[in-house]
Parts: sequence; C-alpha cells; structure tokens
Amino acid sequence: MSWKKKFLHYLNFNVPLTVFLLIIIGFLSISSAVEINQVDSNALVFLQRQAVSVVLGLLVVFILQAYDYRIFKEYAAVIYLLMIGLLSFTLLMGRTVAGGKRWISIGPINFQPAELAKIMLILVLATVIDNNSDDMGYLKGMFWPSIIAFIPFVLVVLQNDLGTALVLFFIYLVMLFAGGGNIKYMALVFGSGFLIIVLIISAHVMLDTPLPFLQEYQLNRLIVFINPDIDPFGSGYNIIQSKIALGSGRLTGKGLFAGTQNQLNFLPEKHTDFIFSVIGEEFGFMGSALVILLFLFLLWQFLKIAEEARDRYGYLVVIGITAMFLFHVLENIGMTMGIMPITGIPLPFISYGGTFMMTSLTAVGIIININLRQNKLMF
Amino acid sequence: MDRLKILRIIILVIFIILISRAAYLQIINGDYFFRLSEGNRISVRPINAPRGKIIDSQGKVIVSNRLTYNLYLMRNEIPPGESSEEILAELSEISGIDYQRLINNYQNTDVKSVIEPILLARHLSKEEMVVIVENNDLLPGIIVQEASLRDYIYPENMVHTTGYIGEINRNELISFNELGYNYRAGDFVGKSGLERQYEFYLAGQEGAEQIEVDNRGQKKQTLGIRKPIAGNDLTLNIDFELQLSLEEILKENFDRLRLEAEDDEERIKPTAAAAIVMDVNSGAILASSSIPNYDLNLFAKGISSSDYQKLSNDPLRPMLDRTVMSDYPTGSIFKLITGAAAMEELGVRADSSFYDSSGRFYIPNWSRPFRNWLDRGEGQLDFVKAMARSNNIVFYELGHELYKEYRGDKLAEYARKFGLDQKTGIDLPSERSGLVPDDQWKRETFNEPWYPGDAVNLSIGQSNLLTTPMQIAQLFSVFANEGILYKPQLADKITSPEGEVVLDIEPYIKADLRSEINDSTFAALNQGLYDVVNKSYGTASHHFLNFPIEVAGKTGTAQTSRALTNHAWFGAFAPYEDPQISVVVLLENGGSSSFSVPIARDIIANYFGVDEEDE
Repeated sequence: MSWKKKFLHYLNFNVPLTVFLLIIIGFLSISSAVEINQVDSNALVFLQRQAVSVVLGLLVVFILQAYDYRIFKEYAAVIYLLMIGLLSFTLLMGRTVAGGKRWISIGPINFQPAELAKIMLILVLATVIDNNSDDMGYLKGMFWPSIIAFIPFVLVVLQNDLGTALVLFFIYLVMLFAGGGNIKYMALVFGSGFLIIVLIISAHVMLDTPLPFLQEYQLNRLIVFINPDIDPFGSGYNIIQSKIALGSGRLTGKGLFAGTQNQLNFLPEKHTDFIFSVIGEEFGFMGSALVILLFLFLLWQFLKIAEEARDRYGYLVVIGITAMFLFHVLENIGMTMGIMPITGIPLPFISYGGTFMMTSLTAVGIIININLRQNKLMF
Repeated sequence: MDRLKILRIIILVIFIILISRAAYLQIINGDYFFRLSEGNRISVRPINAPRGKIIDSQGKVIVSNRLTYNLYLMRNEIPPGESSEEILAELSEISGIDYQRLINNYQNTDVKSVIEPILLARHLSKEEMVVIVENNDLLPGIIVQEASLRDYIYPENMVHTTGYIGEINRNELISFNELGYNYRAGDFVGKSGLERQYEFYLAGQEGAEQIEVDNRGQKKQTLGIRKPIAGNDLTLNIDFELQLSLEEILKENFDRLRLEAEDDEERIKPTAAAAIVMDVNSGAILASSSIPNYDLNLFAKGISSSDYQKLSNDPLRPMLDRTVMSDYPTGSIFKLITGAAAMEELGVRADSSFYDSSGRFYIPNWSRPFRNWLDRGEGQLDFVKAMARSNNIVFYELGHELYKEYRGDKLAEYARKFGLDQKTGIDLPSERSGLVPDDQWKRETFNEPWYPGDAVNLSIGQSNLLTTPMQIAQLFSVFANEGILYKPQLADKITSPEGEVVLDIEPYIKADLRSEINDSTFAALNQGLYDVVNKSYGTASHHFLNFPIEVAGKTGTAQTSRALTNHAWFGAFAPYEDPQISVVVLLENGGSSSFSVPIARDIIANYFGVDEEDE
C-alpha cells in the first residue's frame, strides 16, 4: 500500500465531491447575479476574486493535512488569545462598512476576522469541553465553556455583526449539547437569555428605552420579518423581493441569466446574502431542492465523520463545524424564503465573499483531517 | 452517542422545513409570485395625444400644437430606501423648479395606483427638460414625456370663438367621466368657445407604453405600445382671411371711437364691439368677433391666478363674448318684427299710408308723448318709407293697434317666430337666449299687467327687449332668404387625423316661415331695408354713397337707462338681389348707429372685394 493509498484509505470522498459541486453551483449563480451576460458588467472581477479565495482555501486544505488536528488542542490557549486579539483589533482599528466595523486590511488583503473566529472558537471550545468532560453534567463543567464563548460573542456583537454573533451562540449551544451539557441548565440559560432579549425589545418599542446591543435597523429587520408588508418599500423590501424571486422560478426556473428579479436588480445583495434567491429564480424548485439536499448530504457525512472520530476532541470539533454550517444554511436559505429574519450571513461555498469561502474550506480541511486520522494506527 | 441521534433528527427536521418551504413558494404559489415578478419589472409610461387642430374653411390652420415636455413621478420605480420627497428635493435642486410646486402636485394627486404616473409639472422649458434628462441617474422614478402645447398661430384673433383651455376641474372630471369619457386629473380641456363645445372631438386619447424597467426605473426595453389617438380636427365655416379683416376693421374703429370720445363731451366711449358675418343660405358663420379680447397664449400652459384676476377684474370684461353672451335691446331693428306682425295681422300693405304730424305719439289717457328721433313731423309716409326713415311714430301706431287687437302677446309671438327669446343654437357654450317681454313675463316679473306703453315701447325695440348680436345676424338672414330660419353654425366638419370625416355638419333649418308669412310681407320689408341704404332719405344711405354692391340694412340705436349710452346697431344683408351674407355690427354704448354703419359697410366692402376708389 503506497503512502497515498494509505492516506486516502479513510477519506470520505462524498465530502470533497459535494463541496466541489456546491462551489460550481456558486460560480454559476454568482455569474448570473453579477450579470456576466451584460456587456458592461464587471463580473469577471468578482469571479476572479472568488476563484482566488477558492484556490487559497484549497491550499489551506492541503497544508492542514500535513499536521495532526490535535495540534490545535495543544495550542488552544494561543488560538484563543489570537482570536480575542484579532476581534479587539478589528473593533478598534477596523474599517467601517455598512454600519459595522468588521474588516481589517493587511496590505491589499481585506478580511473579516469574525469569520475566522467561528473556527477558532470551535477549536477552543472543543478543547475546553473535552477537558471538562467529566463535569459537563454539572454547572461547574459548563462554566468555562460559557465564559470562553461569551467574550468573543460580546466582541462580535460590538462590531454590530449580529449574524456572526448568532452563529457563535449556536455553535456554543450545539457543542455544549453534544459534549454532554446538562439540558436543564442549558434550557435555563437559553430561556432566560431569550426572555431578557424579549424584555429589552419590548421596553424599547413601548417605553423607548435604549437598545444595548441591537441597532435600530436590526430591530426593524426583526419587525419586518414578522410582517414584511408593514413597510414594503423600506425594510420589508428585501424579504418581499426575495420571495418573489424564489417563487417566480416555479418548478423549473426561468433559466440561467433569465431571472428578471435578478437581472433587473430587484433582488438586493444578490451575489452575496441573497444568492439562493437567484438560484431559486433561475433554476426553480429543482435547483433550490438540489442545493438544499446537497447541504443535507454534506452535513450527514460530517456527522458520520464525527461518529468515527478517533477521540472526543475530534468529535467535538466536527460537531462544532457541523453546527456552524447548519446555522448558516438554515439562516441564509430561511431568510431568502421569509422564514428567518434577515441577518446577512452568507450561504457556504456559494455566496460571493472571500473570507467566508476560506473559512468554510478551512473547516472542511479540518474535517477531512479528522476523517483521515480516524484510525489510530495511521502513520 | 444518544445526543448525536438527536442532532441528526434536528438536522433532518430543519431540512424538511427548508424543502417544504421551497415547495410551498415555488410550486404551490409559483404562479402567484411569477405574476408579481412580471408586475415588478413592468411599468407604464403615458404617451400624450395631441389635441385636434382648428382649421378654417379654406384649409388654413388656425390653432395647432407644438411639442413640449411634461414631468412625471412613477412611484413604483423609486428604489427602496429613497422617499419621493427626497427625490423631489433633488429634482428641484437640479432643475430649479420650485420644490413647493412639485410637492403640491405630488401630494394633491388623485392617482392612487403606484404604477400610474403622477404629473409633477407641465410644459417644461427646454433647459429644464435637458438638465433633468441628463441627470436621470440621480432621479429614479422621475420621467419626462413628450406632450403637446396648444399653438395659437393668431393668439389675439377669433379669441372668444376659439375659446381657451385649462386644467380639468373636479366637476368636469366627474361629469365627463359619467358621460363615458376617460379623463384624468391634470388633463387640459376646453373651457370656453369651440374648444369647450367640441371638447370630446378635439381631445386626443392618451396612449401608453409598457416597458421593462430595472430597480432604478431605467428603461430596459419596450414590451408593448398602446398608440395614442390624436384628437380630431375641427374645420370651421369661418373664412379666416375675412375674420382677420373684420377684426382689423372692428378694432380700428373701436379704438378710434374711444379716442374721439375722450375729447368730446357729447360722446362717451363705447365699451365693446361685436361683428358677425353669416351665410344667409346656410347659417354658416363666416366671421365673428368680439372686442375687447385677450391673448389666448395666457391660457395655453394654464393661466396664472394673477393673470386670471386681471382679466376678470377688467371693467371692459374682455372674457365676455359679446356675440352670444351679452344681450341688448335692438332699437329700431325690431321694426322688422313689428312690421311683419302688422302686415300679417293688421292688413297693412307696402303702400299703406301713415301720417306723422308732430313727431309725437299719444296714447289715450296717457299724458307723456312717445317721440320720434326727429323733433318734427315727417308728414305723409307709406309703410316702406316709414321703414326707410325708421319713423317711430308709424311703428308706435302699429304697436298700439296690435295691442288693442291682441293685447300683449302678438308682437312677442312674431319676435319668437323670428328666433328671438331663445338661443340660436349656435355651436358655442354659454349662449344667452335674450328676452322678449310680454304680458305673462311682466306679470311674473313685476306683478303688473302689460300696459299700452309697454307695447308701444316694444314696437320700436325698447321696453325690456334683449337680443344677442347672433340673434340679429340670424334675423337678417331670414329676411335675406325670405323665410328660412337657419341655425348659425361655426363648425363645418370634424375629421379624424387620418382625414376621415367623423362628423359632417349640414346646414340646419330650424323653421320655414314661408308657410306662415306671405312673400309680400318679406318683399315690402326688404324694400324698406333696401331704401334705408339706397334712397337718399334712408337712415344709412349717406354711408353707402356710390357703393357698388346693393345692400339692404337697418340701423338701430337702442336706448339704455343711462343718458348718451345708446347701443349702436347696424344689421344688413347683401347683395340685395341675390343675398349671400348678412352682417351685424354692435357697438356697446356706441352712442349712435351712425358709428356702427360705416363699420358694417367696410366689412361688406371687404367681403365683396370692393376697392376704396369704387365707392
């Protein structure tokens, strides 16, 4: 058995294959969303940038395979400090885009540290939960993971990045659950947190008290999510136009480059947050169902890999990554369909956006690493 | 690993929800959303239709249209996050159009549907149009569409007859649409004259262009066009060459008479003048004018309220069309009616003899005499000569005889036979019917009986008699053609823009008096009219010395309640042997018919191409 054959012996080929398919679909729909068919479009710039991100991401995937994933457990403290440092630096020095300080620039490269923070948090949380695995049924065991998750959560909220904050919270919740956290305490924490948010918002709406975390526009998004017709040309516009785009694709779609909602720019943010609406409009239910099923299939493979992981740390990392993708898919697709509020988080592998593409591919690289090293006899 | 199973179930549930939702939107409600997406990208732009032209009998265009631009707001093309107010403010900044005016038009619109355009401003200047079109990237939802503006080639001629246009008001909007027409707020409609009378023919039908727009409202392509239908053209009986000459003559004399009156204490300034030329064999109006008038261009873009105030408050009332909207006593012209009634009812003949001893006429038991215009008796006159001399005494006597025989009704009955006391039916709005007083009228109005004095006064066209110049033109036409009462008509035909005749207006005979009135009556009275002009003793003869056309006519100086302020009339037809036209001239407060006769003479001379030297 050659090294290569041995290396690939445990590889779940479904994972790279599905990811590859999703990226192809992504390129097709971005091409349409940036109107590559129009004479004067600058679509190529978008596609080139996206291609560069994919190539860099794949490079990361390959480099990662050279190291055992457990190295992340050893360096957990470093990773955590790096994450806090990056997020704080962004908060202090970052560029403000669309109401949030989310970007930092290193030379010509702009990236959003909050995206990277998702993976970093997963790696650190897995370490902490693994180290406290005996106490996870008690408050004592849940204390450190909660503190660890809370600090980056607050830093991201301060960047006005509600979407990413929710992703972090979801990751924390799922990992705690998978790591054996006490359901009663979790329900208590989650329930009281939810209650506090409801109280704060009600007080704001009724008594005009200040909003501690939310911006006014974020609250409006939540309100129009509940009833978009309140303000069809303002905040509700995005939801209405997205539903029209999706629905009007009917069973088979209007055809590539033929979506009128997309091509005539009724769809907002169509190459990033609302890329799924473009898919739904141009490829119909067949297209949207295919994408949804591909994601289900991919997550199913992840859970399989988690089950087969050689240790509890690997298992927890895979669960964390699964939770991240699950939340992204649910929130993004749900938002385009009007069943989730608009928070502006991208659809993995498909939405235009370099940082998250690289984050996603890094996550896949870590999963493949865990997948390949399931057998203790390897190497 | 129990918890992994739970996670699997949660994931499955989430994905089942997503797929069900996709199926719900795309399969179950797909058609609904498809229609919405079509509605999203389709916008409708108005295409204005030009109003019909007004053309004279010789094919000369009198009123036409020229290209202008209107400004609209399309609410469905405003991108999210931008408000109409913001865009209007930007528009005001860029174009210099007053913001308040834009916002008023936007807020006061009747348009409810967001896909319908809201008219913001009409008839942009070229500079405004260019700067708005150049900046259309900054002005989503703002569109400029071609429109037409009434182009008056002769803005100060035939003003009242043409009439003015203005923005449709609420009452018009409701009543026009109840009639089945399709008007919208902001439309311009005829408000007076022919523009109003033939509004439903002249008005075009707005078309629309269905276009595909993107989210900035920018046109991508045309999907369909509903062509506008241009208004129908109105061809008149008016001969505009004649009209221009008539107006020139009328205006020249009017201005001169006003000027002369300034230096003459015995005279007062005429306050208005009217003249009509009518074809006696069809009722066609060949020329018609009323002065003072106004400039039609004031109304083309919608009149400003200050201009309108100025016109309304002008003491000479330039907006009033004196040919049909004002009525006056006729003075001696009414002797035609008294004469006809006397010949038909009292057996008076052309050679019946009368005697005017003193220039005064006394009614039994009435101390005050009724006077002739001459302060001495004219001795013996036959009926025709009494007409030519316009001798009041003879007609007082006839009026009194008619009263004794028939009380207060017979004379009024004849007046009505000849079309007085009723609208002529000319194709103009707001025509007055005038008034022929009689016994019943007097009882109803003053609760008094019809006295012999009333009858005597009426017999020479005084009392409470009121007639419009159009009624008098009609009266002279009936005498000219000896018995056929034609309806006066301005319009000849209406043609579609393709040249197809939509409405052909034939001469309309309202009554044929030949069955009721003897030829000999017309012959005798016409002889009288002929002598007025052609016998040396005729009251108008000295103005027609050596006139190459034989004219028959009658002077009228109608007294009003104020001293010196007599209305001056002259009615005529020509040529005497084979009449073609009747002519009426009225000088409101003109003093004496000696001022109106020369005006009529000049109009007739112009019509027949008589040179000055021939006279």
